[in-house]
Amino acid sequence: MPTISIFKDDFESLLTLGGRAKGSVSPVSIEQLEDWLMLVKGELKGHNQETGELRIELQDSNRPDLWCCEGIARQIRIKQQGKLKPYPFFAKKTKKGQSLIVAPGLEQVRPYVAACTARGYRVTEEGLAQLIQTQEKLADIFGHKRKTVSIGIYQLSKIAFPVTYELVKPDQAKFTPLGMETVMTLAEILMVHPKGLEHGHILAGQSRLPILCDAKNQPLSFPPIINSREVGEVRVGDDELFVEVTGTDQLMVVLTLNIFAANLADRGATIEPVEVQYPKTTPLGKRVITPQDLGNSKTIQVKTIEQALGQELGVKVVKQALEVYGYEVSAGKGTVKAKLPPYRQDLMHAMDVVEDVAISRGYGEFAPVMPAQFTVGGLSRIEQTSDRARELMVGLGFQEIISNIMGSPESYRDTMRLADTEWGRMVEVENAMTLTFSCLRQWMLPSLLRVEAASNRAFYPHRLFEAGDVAIPDDAHELGSRTETVLGAVIAHATAHFSEIHSCLDILFYHLGKDYSLEPVQHPSFLEGRAGRIVVAGKPIGVIGEVHPEVLERWQITVPVVSFDVNLSQLTDLS
Amino acid sequence: MDTSALIDSLHPLEIKVIMALGSRPAGTVLETEQLAAAAELEPSQLSMAIEWLLAKSLLVVHAETVTPMVSLTKVGEQYVSGASPIERVFSAAREVTSTGKRLTIPDLQAQDGLDPSDVSKAVGRLKKEGVLLIVQGGCIESTGRPSPTVEVIRVLLQQVSEASRELKSFPEAHRQVIEDYAVKRGNAKEPFRVDDRVTRSFMLSPAGVAAAEHLAKEGVAEEVSQLTPELLKDGSWRNKRFRKYTISLRAPRIGTGKKHPYREFLDTVKTKLVSMGFQEMRGSLVETEFWNMDALFMPQFHPARDVHDVYFVKHPTHAAKIAAPFLSRVTKAHQDGGKTGSTGWKYAFNAERAKRLVLRSQGTAVSARTLASAPAVPGKYFSIARCFRYDQVDATHATDFFQVEGIVLGEDINFRTLLGLLNLFAREVAQAKEVKFLPAYFPFTEPSVEMHVRHPRLGWMELGGAGLFRAEVTLPLGVTVPVIAWGLGLDRMAMVALGIHDIRELFTDNLDLIRTTRGIF
Repeated sequence: MPTISIFKDDFESLLTLGGRAKGSVSPVSIEQLEDWLMLVKGELKGHNQETGELRIELQDSNRPDLWCCEGIARQIRIKQQGKLKPYPFFAKKTKKGQSLIVAPGLEQVRPYVAACTARGYRVTEEGLAQLIQTQEKLADIFGHKRKTVSIGIYQLSKIAFPVTYELVKPDQAKFTPLGMETVMTLAEILMVHPKGLEHGHILAGQSRLPILCDAKNQPLSFPPIINSREVGEVRVGDDELFVEVTGTDQLMVVLTLNIFAANLADRGATIEPVEVQYPKTTPLGKRVITPQDLGNSKTIQVKTIEQALGQELGVKVVKQALEVYGYEVSAGKGTVKAKLPPYRQDLMHAMDVVEDVAISRGYGEFAPVMPAQFTVGGLSRIEQTSDRARELMVGLGFQEIISNIMGSPESYRDTMRLADTEWGRMVEVENAMTLTFSCLRQWMLPSLLRVEAASNRAFYPHRLFEAGDVAIPDDAHELGSRTETVLGAVIAHATAHFSEIHSCLDILFYHLGKDYSLEPVQHPSFLEGRAGRIVVAGKPIGVIGEVHPEVLERWQITVPVVSFDVNLSQLTDLS
Repeated sequence: MDTSALIDSLHPLEIKVIMALGSRPAGTVLETEQLAAAAELEPSQLSMAIEWLLAKSLLVVHAETVTPMVSLTKVGEQYVSGASPIERVFSAAREVTSTGKRLTIPDLQAQDGLDPSDVSKAVGRLKKEGVLLIVQGGCIESTGRPSPTVEVIRVLLQQVSEASRELKSFPEAHRQVIEDYAVKRGNAKEPFRVDDRVTRSFMLSPAGVAAAEHLAKEGVAEEVSQLTPELLKDGSWRNKRFRKYTISLRAPRIGTGKKHPYREFLDTVKTKLVSMGFQEMRGSLVETEFWNMDALFMPQFHPARDVHDVYFVKHPTHAAKIAAPFLSRVTKAHQDGGKTGSTGWKYAFNAERAKRLVLRSQGTAVSARTLASAPAVPGKYFSIARCFRYDQVDATHATDFFQVEGIVLGEDINFRTLLGLLNLFAREVAQAKEVKFLPAYFPFTEPSVEMHVRHPRLGWMELGGAGLFRAEVTLPLGVTVPVIAWGLGLDRMAMVALGIHDIRELFTDNLDLIRTTRGIF
C-alpha cells in the first residue's frame, strides 16, 4: 500500500490542533515515532536526518485518511488528548450561497461531485507538498487511478459561485491546462497533454466531456484529467482554497472531501461547506451539503468484543479505548454504540471495531495463550508418494532440483519438438510481462534440461531429478487444467544409455510397489525406437527414453541424456 | 626418508626393478629391454616403475643411445603382398617386349592403382640402370637385363616386414635404396621409414643400492595393493604386505544423491508443522478469481486484482461454473453483507468476473477451498503452495515462489490464541525467543497481526502475518467457528541461512552451486 513522505517538524507541529509554529513543539524521537506508528499500521521505511524527511509505508487500504501527515498526526493526537475534538463544519449549513450545480447527463459519465472552501490557512511549503501528495495518493490508489475519485484544488479568490459541473462537446470548451503554455480544447488535452494521454481512457467513448466552470463561465478544470492553470494552480502563500472531488462512487467522493476538509482544518483553515444541487435525486438526496458526516455507526455487544479478543474488558474500558481512537461512543447495558469519525468509512462488521479496540489498547496488552485443541497432523497422499519417490531418487544417486513452474513455450514445447502435438498443450498466460515467463510447465523434462544446459562444466555424470507440480490442460476439468505432481529424472554423461535410466525406473517402481510395463511410443522429444510409454494398470502415466539429439542441440547440450517423467498424482490415484 | 620407510613406500613394480639390478654384480647397467626381461615386466609396467624410481632418485640413467631403425610404412606393408610401382613397371616392360605389344608411359600411368609420379620415378630409375628403353612413339621396351633396384626392394620388403631393423645392419647398397625409398617430408607415399630409437640404460643410484641390499637382507613379503576375496578365502593375506597409501591426498570427487538445499529447509518446516498437528492441504496452480480473491472478501475493485498484479489464463478464460451455494453467498457478502453481519462492500458483484481463471496468487486460496469443504473442528491445516505474482523479476521478486500458509479452526480461537499460535511458530520454526506483534492489514482478516522475531543469528525480521478470518469469509463458506489464517514468510530466512542474496538463486540452474550448497538443520 502507499508509501508517503512527510517532514518531521511539520508532523510535530500537527500533533497540536491548529498547527503550532515551528520550533515551539518538542521534537519526537524516532523510537517514539515507531511506537506511535503501530496506531496507524505504519512502518518507518526511511529517515533523512538532514532534511527531516520521513518515509512511511501505510498498510491499511481501507484507511485513506491515514495516507498523509495530517491523518497520522491526528490519530496520535486523539490518543494523547483522549478524544476527538469534533469538526464544526460537519454540522453546518452552507454559507452565502456557496453552491455547485450539476447538469443533467453526468450520471452517464462521472455522476458525483463534492466541494468545500477553506479560508484562513496560509499555505506553507510543507503544507503544499502534503496537499499535492495526498491528492495523488488518494486519486491513484483509493480512486483507482482517478477512475472512481479525482481531486482538484483551486484559488478560491478567482472563483465566482455558483460553480457548474456540466458536459460539453470536446472542442466546445478550452483553457490553458496546468503544465502547458497555450489554450487547448478538451479534445486537444486528451490527445496532447501527458495527463490526457495517461487518464483519457476513463472517458473513452464519451461524446461529451465533463467540465467544471464558475458563474462567469470560466473553466476550473476538466475532471478527472487536469486543472486550469489560471484558477487551479495553488501556490505557497495562498490563503483561500476551493476543493472539489468528482467520481463514480458518491460515498467515496464525499469521504475523500471529508478527509481534505479535516486535513485543512487541522492546519488551521476554516472550512465552509458547498451545496451540490443534482438534477435528479442521488443516494444522498437531490441537494447534498458537503463535507458531510456519513454517520456510520454500529451497536455492538461488549461480550462479542471480549470473545473475539479473548479477554474481559467491560463497557468502560471498551468505550475509552474506542474514544481515544477517534470513535464517538455511547455506552449501553453491555453494549456500546460506536460511531466512526467523519473522515473514516471502513466499518463493515463488528470485527472492524474489535480490531480498533486491540490497536487502541496496544497488541502488547494481550497475553498470548496457546490454543489447547488436539489435532492430528499429517501429509496429503500425494505428498507422501512424492516424499517416498524423492527418497528413492536420492538413494539412486540423483541430485534434487527445484525450478520455476512458469517458463516459455519455447523451452517447454518448441525446443522439445512438441509444437502442434498433444504433448505440447500448455496453460498460457494472457498478460505475460515477457515470453520468458508466459506459461506453466506441462511436464518435467525441460526443467531438468534447463539445469543440464547450464552445467556442462559441472563434473559428470549428472543425475538430476525434480518432483513438483505441473499444469496439464484438460477441457473436461472445471478449471480447464489439472494440477498434478510429476517426477522427472535425467542422466547425462558421455555414455548415458537407455538401460541406465530404465534400471532406475525399475527400482523406483519396485519400491513404490507398482507393476509397470513399457510400450513403444513415438514421442518427438525422444529417439525413435528408444522411447517407451510407462503403463500401470493399463493406464499411461509417463514416458522414458533417450532424448532426441535435435532436442539436445537446441538446448546446446553436448552429452547424451536419458530421462523419464512419471505422473505421481495419477500413480497415487491408481491404488 | 630412512631406508625402511622408503622401502615401505615402494610399489611392487619398483621392487622388481630394484631387485633385477641389485641381484647382479655391482655397477650393472641394463638397457630398457634387458631390464624388462630381467624384472619380468610388461613394457608399460616397466616404464611406470622407471619413472617413479627416477623421481625417487633410486635409479639413474647411465646412457642414452640413438639408433636409426628401418620399418615399413602402410604403403610398404601393401607392397609386401602386392607389387611396388617399380616392380609393376619392370614386369610390364618385360611382358610387352615378349608379346610385341606397344605400351607408352601415359598408358602405364593410366593403369589402375598406379600413380603417375611413381611411374615417372620408376621409368627414370630403370632407364638409368639400362633395364628399359624408350623407343619410337614414346613406347617402352625391356633390354632383358635384371634390375638391381627391383631385387633389393623385394629383399628389403621381406626383411623388414617381420620387425624393424637397425639401419646399420644393412649393406651399403641396400642402405642407398632405403634412403631413396624412405618417407621424407613432402613424400609420404614411400614404403620405408627410418626412425630414431632412443635407448636408455639404467643403473642403481647409491640409495638404490642401499635399498636393494636392504631388500635382499630383509626379504620382501609379497606386497599387494588390494585385499581380494581370494586372499581372504585362502588366508594368504597373512603372508602379504599391503602397500601404504598417502592418506593426506585429497579425496576424489564424486557426485551424490541429495535433496535440494531449499527443499531440505522446506521439508524441515513441513515436519515441524505436522508435528504441531497440522494436516497438509493441496491446491491447484490455476484458480478462479472466486477462490483466489472473491471468497477472501477482496472486492472486485481491489487494487491488487489489477492486470498488473495477477496473471490471467489465456485459454480457457473462464471456469464453467462456481459451485453452489458458495457463489450466491459470497456475492451477497460482497454486495450487502448477506447473513454475515456486515454491510458488505456495496457494489454490484460480477459473477462472470468470479469465473475468470488466474494463476494462484496467494496460498490463502488453498485455505478458502478447505474452508468450503467442511473441515474438521477443531482443525489445523497448512500448505506449501507455489504462487505467481505479476512482478518484474529481480533479486527480490521471482515469477513463482512458495508460500507457507494455513488455518486453525476452533471454538476457542480468539485474538489471544492467535498470538499464542504465532509464539509457537516463532519458537519452533525460527528458534526465536523474542517476538513483537504489530497491527497489520490483510483484506481477509480482522484483527490482523504482523509478527517480527529476533532470530538467534539474523536479528529482527518479519516472520509472518496472521489474523482472524473475517465473518464475510468464513460464514459464506459454511464455517461458523472462528478461524485463524496465518502465513509464514520463509523465503528470506531460507536465503540468509543458505547464504544467498538473490531470490532467483533458490531455483538456480547452476548444478555446481546446488551440489555444493549445504542444507540447513
